[in-house]
Order: sequence, then C-alpha cells, then structure tokens
Amino acid sequence: MAVSRMSAIWDLLAAHAADRGGPATAADVCAVCVATVAVSGAAVTATGTAGAGQAGTGHVICVTDEVGEQLEELQLTFGEGPRGDALAAGAPVLVPDLDASDIVSRWPAFGPGAQLAGAAAVFAFPLQIGAIRVGVLGLYRRLPGPLSTRELGDSLMLADAATVLLLDRQDRDGRAGIPDGDGGTNTDGVLNWNDRAGPGGQPLDLGLHRAEIDQATGMLTEQLGVSIDEAFVRLRAYAYAHDRRLVDVARDLVTRTLRLGPGGSPPGGTA
Amino acid sequence: MDTDLLPEAFVELADTLVAGFDVIDFLHLLTDRSVQVLNASAAGLLLADPRGELRVVAASSEQVRLLELFQLQNDQGPCLDCYRSGQPVSEADLSTAGERWPNFAAIARRAGFAAVQALPMRLRDETIGALNLFRTVPGAFDAADVRVGQALADVATIGLLNERSLRRAEILNEQLQGALNSRVIIEQAKGKLAERLGLDMDQAFAALRRYARARNRGLSDLARAFVDGSEELPGLGPGSPTPGTLPRPGSPEPPRSGRQPPSA
Repeated sequence: MAVSRMSAIWDLLAAHAADRGGPATAADVCAVCVATVAVSGAAVTATGTAGAGQAGTGHVICVTDEVGEQLEELQLTFGEGPRGDALAAGAPVLVPDLDASDIVSRWPAFGPGAQLAGAAAVFAFPLQIGAIRVGVLGLYRRLPGPLSTRELGDSLMLADAATVLLLDRQDRDGRAGIPDGDGGTNTDGVLNWNDRAGPGGQPLDLGLHRAEIDQATGMLTEQLGVSIDEAFVRLRAYAYAHDRRLVDVARDLVTRTLRLGPGGSPPGGTA
Repeated sequence: MDTDLLPEAFVELADTLVAGFDVIDFLHLLTDRSVQVLNASAAGLLLADPRGELRVVAASSEQVRLLELFQLQNDQGPCLDCYRSGQPVSEADLSTAGERWPNFAAIARRAGFAAVQALPMRLRDETIGALNLFRTVPGAFDAADVRVGQALADVATIGLLNERSLRRAEILNEQLQGALNSRVIIEQAKGKLAERLGLDMDQAFAALRRYARARNRGLSDLARAFVDGSEELPGLGPGSPTPGTLPRPGSPEPPRSGRQPPSA
C-alpha cells in the first residue's frame, strides 16, 4: 500500500533527524537515500528562483560526499547533466551506465568528467508538483546498474519529501506566514514536519494526492493572487491550522463551499 | 466497432508520434479515439506509478464523476485486476457485479455505466497500466473490439516509449513520471482557469484544450505556461469569459483582489 510506504519513508526521515537533534531537512533526505536506495551519494539542489529550470542555475542545499560535490560542480561549470535535463523535462533522468554510447553525445563534458570523479551511474529527480518546481534530488552510484522498481519508488517518495521540505524552507525564508484563521497571519508559526504533522496527523503523501488538491492549488493562485508554490504552501497551512485533511479542504474549495481571500482566510464566510 | 474510423485514427496517432510530441496530447487523442472507434461511452488511461498506485493520465471526459471512477479503482475494480494479472478484464453487466467489485460496481452504475472493459498496457513482461472502457448499455465488448482495443493500448505504450535505446526501461519510467507530472500541471491549470473565468473543471479543461489547439501548442506546455505565469496568454486572462459561464457563488464583491495576475 502506497500510504504505508510513504509513512515508512517519513519514519526514516524523522528518525534520522531525531538523531541529529533537529527537524527534518533535505540533508536527512540525502542520508536516507544512501541508506535505503543503495546509492553511493546524494545531493539536493534548489532552483534559484521559483520555476527556473536552466542547467547551471540553482544552489546545493546538501550533499553526502566529495564525489557528489564534484558532480554538482561539473554540472554548474559545464551547464549540462542530469540535473538540468530533469528540470527541463519535468521528469526523472535515469542513467544506469555513464559508459553507454548515447551518453557521450548527450553530455560530452559532464559524462567523462563524472566518470573520472568516480561515478558510474546517475539518477536525477525533479522536486516538483506539477508546475511547482523547487529543485532536484541527484543520486549517483560508483558501480553501474539500474534502480530496481522498489528503489525507484522509494527514490520518488524521497523526492516528494524533499519537495515539501524545500517548499517549507522557501516559505520560512520568504516569511509567507500562516493564516491564523482570524484574517491575520502568524509569521512565527512554522509547519513542523519533524513529526510529519500533515493535517489530521497523516503524513503528507504527494503520491496519493487527489486531482482536487491540484485543482484547489490552481484556484488559490487566483483567489490569493500568489504563485503556484505559495498557493500550495497556503493550502497546507490552512488545512493544518484548522486540523483538517488536505483532501477535504481541497474538495471544499473545488465545490466552492470554501473560498480564501488574500489574507488566507474565508472573507467572513464558511470556515 | 466503427471500422470506418479505424484507419484514420491510427494515421492520426502515428502523426502525433512524429511531430512535436506532447505525451499528454497523444494520450488524450488515444482515449478520444478509443471511445469513437469502439463505440464506448467513456474511456480512461491509467498508468502505474512506481510509488505503487494507478493514476489517471487521460480520459475522454474531465467530468469529476468519471475521473473519480478511475481513481477509486486503486482499491477495487477492473483496472486493478487487469493491472495485476496483465490480462484483459471485462464485465458485460455491472448490475451482476456486486460480489466481484461491490463498491466499484455500485458507483459505476450510479454514474450510468452498464458494462466495462479493461485492457492491459504491456511492455514485454511488465504491465504498466490499463485502458479502461465503459458503455452505458450492458453487453460484452466483442472479440473484434477487444483486439482493436488492445492494439490501441499497445500504441499507447509505444507512444510512451518513442525512441529506441539501450535504456528502454529507464526511458519508459522517465516518460511515465513526466506524463504523471504533466497531468498534475493540467489539474492545476484547470483550477486556475475555472476560478478565473467561473467555469467548472470540465469547461476549464475544454477551454485550455481549445486554446492550445488553436495556437498549435502542446497542452502540457500551454498548461505549464498558464500556471507559472511565464507567458502572456491573451484570451485566457480576466475579462474574457466564455459563453455559458457559471455564475460565481457567494457575495458580489469584485472577482479579483490582491496582485493582478501577469497575463493580459
């Protein structure tokens, strides 16, 4: 069942974060990737500005080792590689063998450079929810070989977790604030994903999102006059503040029994 | 089956595979043509996400009731059985399917459907999804329908795998995730346009599709540009409602507040 697999991923992240003594971050995602997906290293990069997707932009949030660092540097230097391709395509880039003939023409500089650095396989996952794009999770292996179906599924879920963590980080940095339900915002409030407190106590599972959550996010860009990234953060914040499930709030928005004004709360209407 | 439509449908699909390929457009075209060629009432294409779930990527109608009917098959239904077995699954009379799929059969019948056929999307030994067909009158899809339907499902699989390479399995997974994400973008675009113009989701989808076709653009590409505001899209901006716009419920305050959206 997808729900319990995602729960297990959040458990691993929470446990790793607890060992470090802080809330879950992208660094925990990288560490858990290495532990569970059998890769040699991992890195999370954030896009420079919301939605920007060119190869060579973005900065490294965390990386597990020197080879991983070198791989990110190579991509920045040469402006080619799995990270940029993943963002441009809006899809993962899965290269189980950097020695393959089509790789040389695809990445004439990065390909050989990555191999010299010690990587034999690379896998990059855009951190995205539809048009929301916040970064890339990059994995590498010292030995060639594909990700198994299970490893691929786990990688995708870890990428989902990283997406949410980066959105929250962006939100904290941008001081978007959390509506407190009375028409004001509470800029001290931060969604604490360390205890996986999705609304209703359920871990946020992007794989199980219903179409309505996506539609509601789109609606909120209009209702609140904000970017798609911020619309999603506000949607979750509202659900959290009112202790409701994300799918239920989304459904209310889509059926138009709930509407949020620019302050993030209903304009004197239903709550 | 409507054999007159068949050759044209395949030519059209083949054309889409060649020029400026947008996988979402392709899959939508395929579900539309499936309905016509196979005399079905509705069709949907579901793909298996490696996270462990069947997800709709294209359907012949964006009506909520239909989409939910595909979505709930994650727990029970012909698509789930088809995906797990890798074999076609059919039910000629949903009124007798109460034991087979109690929840699904009831909801399908409430939606007006009487018969269902699911065909596997297969790549070698692996089943990657299913083509799901509905009819409003009971009766089995005949052998010819099943053969052609399976061919259409196979074309869908090939469309997802539109290059020959040593990385076949990887490319399929890449394309699959890309298609799933494109679907999310389209849902986001539906929501944004529905809110902007006071439409329901089905109308919003139709408007986006019309707009994309009129300007010869891929739907996913247009949807992304609309959602992230990276382009001015005259005609999709405020102040250009389509005829038959639903009245906005609630108070008669000005429709928009806060920052102006970037488009015209």
